[in-house]
Amino acid sequence: MSFKLVWQLSIRNILRHRRRNLMLFAAIAVAVTGVSSMNTLIRGMQYGMMDTAVENMTGHIKIHAPGYRDDPNIQKGFALDEDFEPPVPAEDMLGWAARIRIPAVIMSERETRGVQIVGVDPSAEAISFIGDVPIEGDGLESTDDGRILIGRELAIQLETEVGRRIVVITQGIDGRNREKGYRIVGTYDAEGTALEKMYVFTGLSSLQGLLDSEDVTEVSIRLVDEPKRLTFKQLLVGFFSELAVMDWLELEPMAAAMFIFADSVIYIWFALMMSALTFGLINTLITSVMERVKELGMVRALGMPKRMVLIQVVVESTIIMAVGVVIGLIGGYLVFLTIEDGINLGAFAEGMEMAGIASVLVPVLRWDDFILVAWLSLLLGILASLYPAWRAVKVQPLEAMRR
Amino acid sequence: MSNTVVKCEKVEKTYQKDSVPVYALRGVDFEVNAGDFVSLSGPSGSGKSTLLNVIGGLDRPDSGEVTVDGVALSGLSESELTELRLRKMGFVFQAYNLIPVLSAQENVEFILQLQGVPQAERRERAEAALESLGLADMSHRQPGELSGGQQQRVAIARSIVSNPVLLLADEPTANLDSGTTEDLLGLLRRLNEQENMTIVTATHDPIVMSYTKRQVHLRDGAIERDALAA
Ligand SMILES: Nc1ncnc2c1ncn2[C@@H]1O[C@H](COP(=O)(O)OP(=O)(O)OP(=O)(O)O)[C@@H](O)[C@H]1O
Ligand SMILES: [Mg+2]
Repeated sequence: MSFKLVWQLSIRNILRHRRRNLMLFAAIAVAVTGVSSMNTLIRGMQYGMMDTAVENMTGHIKIHAPGYRDDPNIQKGFALDEDFEPPVPAEDMLGWAARIRIPAVIMSERETRGVQIVGVDPSAEAISFIGDVPIEGDGLESTDDGRILIGRELAIQLETEVGRRIVVITQGIDGRNREKGYRIVGTYDAEGTALEKMYVFTGLSSLQGLLDSEDVTEVSIRLVDEPKRLTFKQLLVGFFSELAVMDWLELEPMAAAMFIFADSVIYIWFALMMSALTFGLINTLITSVMERVKELGMVRALGMPKRMVLIQVVVESTIIMAVGVVIGLIGGYLVFLTIEDGINLGAFAEGMEMAGIASVLVPVLRWDDFILVAWLSLLLGILASLYPAWRAVKVQPLEAMRR
Repeated sequence: MSNTVVKCEKVEKTYQKDSVPVYALRGVDFEVNAGDFVSLSGPSGSGKSTLLNVIGGLDRPDSGEVTVDGVALSGLSESELTELRLRKMGFVFQAYNLIPVLSAQENVEFILQLQGVPQAERRERAEAALESLGLADMSHRQPGELSGGQQQRVAIARSIVSNPVLLLADEPTANLDSGTTEDLLGLLRRLNEQENMTIVTATHDPIVMSYTKRQVHLRDGAIERDALAA
């Protein structure tokens, strides 16, 4: 069978109705531009949510002692070797941090609040939000730093400020309370989020000293590529056979649910936009077949096989779709370039931060999303052509020519 | 000794029109030999087109057998009939002969493309066919840029380019003026005489009959007269 002939007939038939097909190209292109640029925003929102969840002390993968999550305290800690390094290749790891994170009560002269006290090695915390938030006063200097860094919102609630002293009560390794006075080294600004009220930071060694323990309660690992988390989780499960190894989706079920929801939104959005379009395409193809009935009857009479008639209509549809999709994807890419720096959600932002969505929405372009849109559209192009193609195949030569 | 290209035996075809049977062919026995140039004439509704279509494998008789070039058509599936039309027959219809989006030359090449003839040979043969019908200058025109007579000539070029065993033409001149009709018939006669092309054409037109070697007259779905020209 001559594919060249099929191709030639398809192209010529498309060119025969320039205006009609231009409208169709435009409609497909606009829809694909809409879908693909919207996808970059949905991805941006999704990744923003993930980053927030991951930076919120979680990391991509986290290791706890079993039972820690139900009852977090230093007795549910575990020891790390002096020279411990996670068994993840350095080039795949953005960083890792060992911490103690346990509940504590914090008191100023005026107020008392429940918080989580986190003992950190400040040099390792580039992987969490505390590594890059603005700080009023100073940050912690080392793992031996015996001062405390608290959230701005918490400082307001405690009616205290940088340089003043507060008292922390928490449980030691023996189950008894420890109490320690701290000087506030600085207050951090996490854009008014709940984090500011939840976490207070001090040096890890210093906190271990207070608790009379050499243990940590968690190791958090941040990867370069989020999708590789499953591979490395496997690896870590083998390495820490006694401990619980979890990824961020397990640790942050809300964020995980939103993350998965965003994936389906992309498909739903695609389905909505493209199905409307597909009816337009089907309609155009039927029109194009119906007005060619005499011609189709004639070529069938001359000896053109049915399957070639069928393929010709399918190819015609696919070409129309492909042209529209290519223009649309270029459009989507251009839209992405113009909003690449992010869209300021401004007034909406206040409410949305609660859901872990940043106030500036930075679109994320994933080529596999573009490729998916392209393939699904072409598939739709083929599906849309099946009915019109069947109509074309059904044409009886004599009947058609007698009309 | 002439070998038989078409053989119709007791061919019957009945149509239902508003549940009234219309007898289009009533037991037609008919043979065409290689090198024949036959006109089928008769009043409107006498069955000329039906007979041509049955011979061309475009329609199936209700009973009887049609054999073309030794092949019994009743034994063929629809796709085998399509293949047979492509390989063995040339068709010229009254109208809508050409694909409007292809040039004259591409229309002629179309058949060869369907047959899978390689491009270089295709081009050569199409050019030769157009040339022999005096269409060399028109080969790049679209059908819409050709007169009715020129379009019919392109259709003839297309129908002979594949060297069919049989050329079937249903009222090929019905839309043409008498001058153009005579031109076209001259071409057909030349094809018949020089290339020994077997041609069967249905017509109303006495001019056409005067050009053919053999005139078959139909009436009410039966052959009334079958005469060789003097
Ligand atoms: N598809 C059909 N359905 C019903 N009746 C048909 C059909 N095709 C042909 N007929 C009838 O069969 C008879 C023969 O028709 P046919 O077309 O063969 O005649 P014809 O000799 O070619 O006539 P014309 O000179 O008008 O072309 C006519 O009565 C016609 O009405
Ligand atoms: Mg007729």
